[in-house]
Amino acid sequence: MNAAFVGKKILGSISTLIFVLIVNFFLFRVVQKDPVGSLFRGSRVPQAKLDELRDQFGLEDPLPTQFVLYVRETARLNFGISYQTRQPVWDEIQSKIWPTVLLVGVAAILSALFGIIGGFIAAWRRGSATDYSITSSTMVFYSMPDFWLGMLLLVGFAVMLPWFPVGGMSDLGSSATGIEAVIDRLHHLALPALTLTLAYLGEYAIVARSSLLDVMGEDYLTVARAKGLRDKLVRRRHAVPNALLPVVTLAAINLGFVLSGAIAVETVFGWPGLGRATADAIRGPDLPMLQGLFLVFSAAVIFFNLIADLVYVWLDPRVRPT
Amino acid sequence: MSRRLLGTGLLVGAVFAGISATPAAAQDDVTLIVGLTQPWETLNPVVGFAVPEYEVWNIQYTGLTTRSADDFSAEPGLAESWVENEPGLSYTYTLREGLLWSDGEPITAEDVAWNINTSRDQEWSNYISTVTNLTAEVVDDRTVTVTSSVPDPRLPAVEIYVLPKHVWEAQASPETIDSYDGLDGVGSGPFTISDYRSEESLTMTANENYYDGRPVIDTIIFRYFSNPDAMVAALQRGEIDAAQGLPASSVSQLEGEENIEVVVGFQGGFDEIAFNAGAVEGQPHPAVLDFGFRTALNHAIDKAGATEDLWFGLAESATTISVSADPKWIPEIPEDELFAYDPDVAISMLDDLGYVDTNGDGFREMPGGGDNIVLRHAVNTDSDLGGAMGELFSGWMNAVGIDVELSAYDQDQLFGVIVDGTYDTFYWGWVPFVDPDPMLSYFTEAELYNYNDANWTNARFEELYLEQKEEVDVDRRIEIVHEMVRILHDDAAYVALWYSPDIQAVRTDRFEGYVRQPADIGPVIFSQSSPSYALLQPVGADEGTTGTTDSTDDTVEGSGDEAGAGTTAAPTDGDASDTDTDTGTGTDDDGESDGGGDGDGDNTTVILIVVIAVLVVGAGVALVLKRKGSADDRE
Repeated sequence: MNAAFVGKKILGSISTLIFVLIVNFFLFRVVQKDPVGSLFRGSRVPQAKLDELRDQFGLEDPLPTQFVLYVRETARLNFGISYQTRQPVWDEIQSKIWPTVLLVGVAAILSALFGIIGGFIAAWRRGSATDYSITSSTMVFYSMPDFWLGMLLLVGFAVMLPWFPVGGMSDLGSSATGIEAVIDRLHHLALPALTLTLAYLGEYAIVARSSLLDVMGEDYLTVARAKGLRDKLVRRRHAVPNALLPVVTLAAINLGFVLSGAIAVETVFGWPGLGRATADAIRGPDLPMLQGLFLVFSAAVIFFNLIADLVYVWLDPRVRPT
Repeated sequence: MSRRLLGTGLLVGAVFAGISATPAAAQDDVTLIVGLTQPWETLNPVVGFAVPEYEVWNIQYTGLTTRSADDFSAEPGLAESWVENEPGLSYTYTLREGLLWSDGEPITAEDVAWNINTSRDQEWSNYISTVTNLTAEVVDDRTVTVTSSVPDPRLPAVEIYVLPKHVWEAQASPETIDSYDGLDGVGSGPFTISDYRSEESLTMTANENYYDGRPVIDTIIFRYFSNPDAMVAALQRGEIDAAQGLPASSVSQLEGEENIEVVVGFQGGFDEIAFNAGAVEGQPHPAVLDFGFRTALNHAIDKAGATEDLWFGLAESATTISVSADPKWIPEIPEDELFAYDPDVAISMLDDLGYVDTNGDGFREMPGGGDNIVLRHAVNTDSDLGGAMGELFSGWMNAVGIDVELSAYDQDQLFGVIVDGTYDTFYWGWVPFVDPDPMLSYFTEAELYNYNDANWTNARFEELYLEQKEEVDVDRRIEIVHEMVRILHDDAAYVALWYSPDIQAVRTDRFEGYVRQPADIGPVIFSQSSPSYALLQPVGADEGTTGTTDSTDDTVEGSGDEAGAGTTAAPTDGDASDTDTDTGTGTDDDGESDGGGDGDGDNTTVILIVVIAVLVVGAGVALVLKRKGSADDRE
């Protein structure tokens, strides 16, 4: 992997990010009418004050001026002040990143792990009852809307069988610290993480299954068998490593969605992360917040795509540049 | 392999050991947990306007005067009494003796005057409409005179939160005041903010210095639910003690529950279908500008049916808009002027006016023929009932031969469509304040292109608006306001559909002493001045158990009587000031550093992420080493 190749990839990512930055701005200016008027409707704020706010939010400036300001400030990592909370957007995002990383990260890891294992088992026993049950069950969850799956789990395991809390991130009113707080957090994490894991499982299972099926037709497996290797060894040493390639790429790309992943599930379970912040910001609409969130989401996806590109090259000598 | 695992185990162990060092706090506090379905945006009372924010400020700050729980009349707040120097123009207030902020600093006349004068000079968003003509003058530490440059019927009530000058002075400049987070936790009310986790919860702690005695409850926790069904479940499981903003559909499910009482409270909110009256550039269909046409369509709107279907019998269908949380401002409309629902009347009126169907396609045209009349109805997609109302409206209109085209807008877009005037009808709602002035102002010329959403104006209404604004005789002002509401009603342009209720529920096995505001019909929490919290007591705590088991209206109403007695029974503020300083500073540090949302809650998250990441990386390294090992074996 030479420096020029890596440099080219990084440059490509940066130009994508700049493109996103520009689209971001105009996208929200197209849908917007008068955020100040709609935000303050029915409050005691007199009209003169509203005009002043429009001015203060820069909404009275012509579009090109707004754009220049936006690009300049974003380059300085200043995403502006949220209309709703009046706090810097970056502070707002920072305080919500970790809950989302925890929830979606755990779900991403679990779903990749179990999805890949399930997919490989299904492929290896292609056509059997095991294959059928793994494929169809993961597909059922995959095709189910995740908020609906979340509601079902909530009703099942928090209401009918009250094993888990109905939402939130910690038990309010208890002042548990240390290990108890960690257990409490895991207790609250269980249902939303399970929902997302089930929802993501199908994608990995299908990709892993078809990838292994592809590999299974290859000559080198026949050779391996001819060498007298046991079935298990053939699978572990020869089939699985080669079949993993596309799955690893998928996993890397999916990691990019860890930040933006869970608007619906975070809302169902009251998990205070970026997904819910997005939903709340749309209601306003809180343009600076939305711009900031979308930029962070896009940056994450672009970054992990870059990582996927590089990892792929490292894993698979065939695509290595000469 | 086993050595590697051991290594990871040790690391994880070390991380856990690091966090379990902090001891667990005492648990025997009396804690009230209230669920709500709307999040806080900012806790700065100068700029915030969301319902849960008002609840927190109502609890944390006391005004110079407060609102009575029964009828909103002005009651002593920080001021124990006042003298009228000149009706509507000048009042002198005497503050209670020995008032202290929750951090132990004295509350003085200077605090009050500073709030009024500074907010006027700096035009604080939420204060300016109240203080714009007011001037406050300190007479001595406990005496302050407030004068208005024009007669102000709202006096002697001064409806602003009096903020602690010693905390807010540093924030009070036009550049910085709006972005202050308001998390200092210094107040004069029964509880003050001690912890805030944005989008999650807000905790308030009893104020030892509260002038009416420290409340019985130690801590209130407001818990935000983004999923209302989860809140219903939490209430059923007893995870929360009270809930605000329940979905109407959940009421039948809760009503059968033991120990849960549903409270349907009214404080003036209403929903309406408005016709574009055409006072801005974008014009409605010409038919809509015809008073006769609008009147006919009013008769085609089935308010009672819609109310029953959409609110499951919990709301009351409306006769006219309400301009205040206080029902005395709503006029009685004679039965025969109510545009009663009767499609046949609508049909014959439309026929008489010449709006007939000449081309036989089932829809009417303008008198003299031409294209069908198609009403552009704007559906508000941010409203839970917007879609349903669009369908209902279109059904009512079709039934009398009027075609309707539905277009969906979110709230922001709808606001734009209204300002542009490119609609014929829309459905939306309002929640008025106690004073009728703001709601009335939404139908004046000054509010065109802003909150005058029907683009409706009327010369007589305009005159009366200015008159009521300075009418200090309450009875006369009520008369004027009634006349104004009648004018709006009679023009058939703004059709109030129902008075929207606040649906709440409380667990009757946990606390008693909830008070409705206004009396008999209002909600028990999230009301105009939120008087319940200071009066609540754990069930069976002190004097017997009034209405513990009879889970009907008795609990709420019965405890209202008891309320006055209950307050003074609480322990007084003796040596409490030192305990409180702790609370104050603690909050300060938290709030300043990261805009709230911090504390051990977030540490736990980060620690978990670190532990999980270590495990995953460890497993990955183990896997790679193992593969490398086996690859070596092969060679």
